[in-house]
Amino acid sequence: MTTTLAQRRRPAHPGGPAKGRPAGRGGSNVGRPGFVWALPASIFFALFALVPLLAVAVLSFTTWSGLGDPKFVGLKNWEALFADPVMLQSLWLSLLFIVLGIVTQTPLSILLGVWAAGNQKNRAILSAVYFVPLLLSSAAISVLWRALLDPNFGIPGQMSWLFGDGNILGTQTGAIAVLIFVGMWQFTPFHTLIYQGAARQIPPVLYQAASIDGAGTVRQFFSITLPQLKNSIITSVILMVVGGLTTFETVLILTNGGPGTGTTITAFHMYQEAFRRFDFGTGSAIALVLVVISTAISFAVVRLSGYDKMRSSLEGL
Amino acid sequence: MNHHGWVARTIAGSAALALGLTMAGCSGGSGAASRPENEIHVAMYGDAGNTVEQKMIDTFNATSDVKVVLDKIPGAEYQSKLQTIIDTPTAPDIFFNWGGGSIKNFVDADLLLPLDDFIKEDPQLKDAFLPSVFETAVIDDKAYGIPMRGTQPVMLFNNSKVLADAGISNPPATWDELLEDVKILKDKGITPIALGGADKWPTLMWVEYVYDRVAGEGLFKKALEGDTSVWESEESRKALGMLRELVDAGAFGTNFDSVKFTDGGSPALLASGKAGFELMGSWEYATQQSSDPQFAAEVLGYSEFPKVEGGLGDEDNLVGNTNNFYSIHKNTRYPEAARDFLKLMYSDQFVQEQVGIGNLPTTTNTEKFLDKAADPEYAKYQFNLVKEAPSFQLSWDQAYPPEATVTIHTAVAQFFSGQIDEDGFIKAMQSL
Repeated sequence: MTTTLAQRRRPAHPGGPAKGRPAGRGGSNVGRPGFVWALPASIFFALFALVPLLAVAVLSFTTWSGLGDPKFVGLKNWEALFADPVMLQSLWLSLLFIVLGIVTQTPLSILLGVWAAGNQKNRAILSAVYFVPLLLSSAAISVLWRALLDPNFGIPGQMSWLFGDGNILGTQTGAIAVLIFVGMWQFTPFHTLIYQGAARQIPPVLYQAASIDGAGTVRQFFSITLPQLKNSIITSVILMVVGGLTTFETVLILTNGGPGTGTTITAFHMYQEAFRRFDFGTGSAIALVLVVISTAISFAVVRLSGYDKMRSSLEGL
Repeated sequence: MNHHGWVARTIAGSAALALGLTMAGCSGGSGAASRPENEIHVAMYGDAGNTVEQKMIDTFNATSDVKVVLDKIPGAEYQSKLQTIIDTPTAPDIFFNWGGGSIKNFVDADLLLPLDDFIKEDPQLKDAFLPSVFETAVIDDKAYGIPMRGTQPVMLFNNSKVLADAGISNPPATWDELLEDVKILKDKGITPIALGGADKWPTLMWVEYVYDRVAGEGLFKKALEGDTSVWESEESRKALGMLRELVDAGAFGTNFDSVKFTDGGSPALLASGKAGFELMGSWEYATQQSSDPQFAAEVLGYSEFPKVEGGLGDEDNLVGNTNNFYSIHKNTRYPEAARDFLKLMYSDQFVQEQVGIGNLPTTTNTEKFLDKAADPEYAKYQFNLVKEAPSFQLSWDQAYPPEATVTIHTAVAQFFSGQIDEDGFIKAMQSL
């Protein structure tokens, strides 16, 4: 606490940090924002992220139904979890959802984003229309598509030449396809927005130089636009990975994890164990697995892509 | 000063503090003293029927110093919310439930007040209700619930117009007649039976009835008591074989796994004439009435589940939601006031109000008011079914504690769609 007081009493440096003085680790000895500045955020993060995480870690070694006190059972939940076929399947399904989500959404949102960054006629209106799914809640979207896909009274009922008997949600492949499609419909506008913003940041001088050198639109896209969007692609992909791992409402409402356990992804499995079977121990163990996996994936993406070095794509300009 | 050490200590300290608070919150279990003064809180399944609950509360509050407060919880989340608050200081004094498995865990955790002493003082608290219904909330020979709202037996509904067009004069009385009707309707290009398979519980209704007809009510009672060998019995396999035969005969069409009851899919199949039958709880009538009153009044037919020749179960046995109940939390501050409130559940006013909104209470005075029901004929038919039923089996997913629901629902859905066979189903049920 003495540091805090001392820091407060010290007059501010109008000209920023004094020249020639090495920036100290804590920063407070040169009058720059120190750890204390981050205290409010850190306390909230500790209270609402770290503490629940610790509580979940503790709970994963207990059996608890919400009634009475949790009973310590050692590694029992964890042993059961690794022997549970639904859990193993759910991890594969989650991975599949992430990969399919990235594969379907990324190309589409890059193209739309780059297009929306231009100044064509009607662009603003079409972009606004395309933005609409993002304004709807996931629950509303799921209920809407559920009704549209009713095999007897929805789209499949009218297009039997394409959908056969309309049993789309009754087969695993069909149910997965529906979830991926609805995810695409729902989230592409968001990623489009990221790419639109990023594409507008690309200096026009690059394109002007390229046209002088004789590069066409396609060549410009692959040689200028895509490389310039690299950091945005990484951001967008990390968001998709985390979003894919925690997909929940659409599964709950559209397929309820079915047919059978055909779309029981890990996040849904966690909900089912904790709030339907009231086995908060197992639910907590699954939650912890999710935390570890999503942290590892984000970390790997950042490392492999060189994103952590924060190198500007405008170097040399 | 070492900043890193300070940071680590702060985080560790606040984490430990907050963790301690969390754990203290978890252990819960407060006494009556910490509860609000002069208030009784009722946790209630939130839906359109709440108007009647509120009216009864107003009646009670008019003469009582201790006021009853209705806390509505959205229906789909009711059981989850209840289980997470029931062992905390904010637990309700009185709460809505389905009897049976829905309160078994609470009884085991010693959270509920046995009502036997109240019943001794006022025998009406038990005698005013039909015995088969009252039994549902009796656990380990102690009464824990007073029936409220209404009974909801499962019946075989039909579209009488579709049946007449197909030359079927009467709803099937036997299993063989049902199979015949299925064939006739299928040959005409109509889905014989509408099934909201994506909801899973409508599928369970078929399993419950066939088991009851083939093996009698005893099989499930034994299973519930922990004798899992009954699932391997000859009757169990026979019941599964019959269900398989029905599914394979195309009784439910091919896309029932994509159809829901809850979004109106399967009731619409019946109402639009694309299906001939639907096995559903008595609320089917209200569901159809809300979308097409004329269809409900003139075309919608209903009958008992067909009997099975050679089956051990009585042909008048019922399955479904026997009733809803109010139970009292052990830590309530005002047990006498709670008791007096529950006495309203067999009053004339209560029955009249419930009948008025289409519910069917199971009090002995209900019959007096059936003429005032929305459809007196339907109300009387149902009431007699319940009154005459030798056994009224609570739905399996309500009879077992809630943690079993996922397993049961998944097993019936996978069995119907052919993902698991008889052995797979037996194994799943034995895991409970």
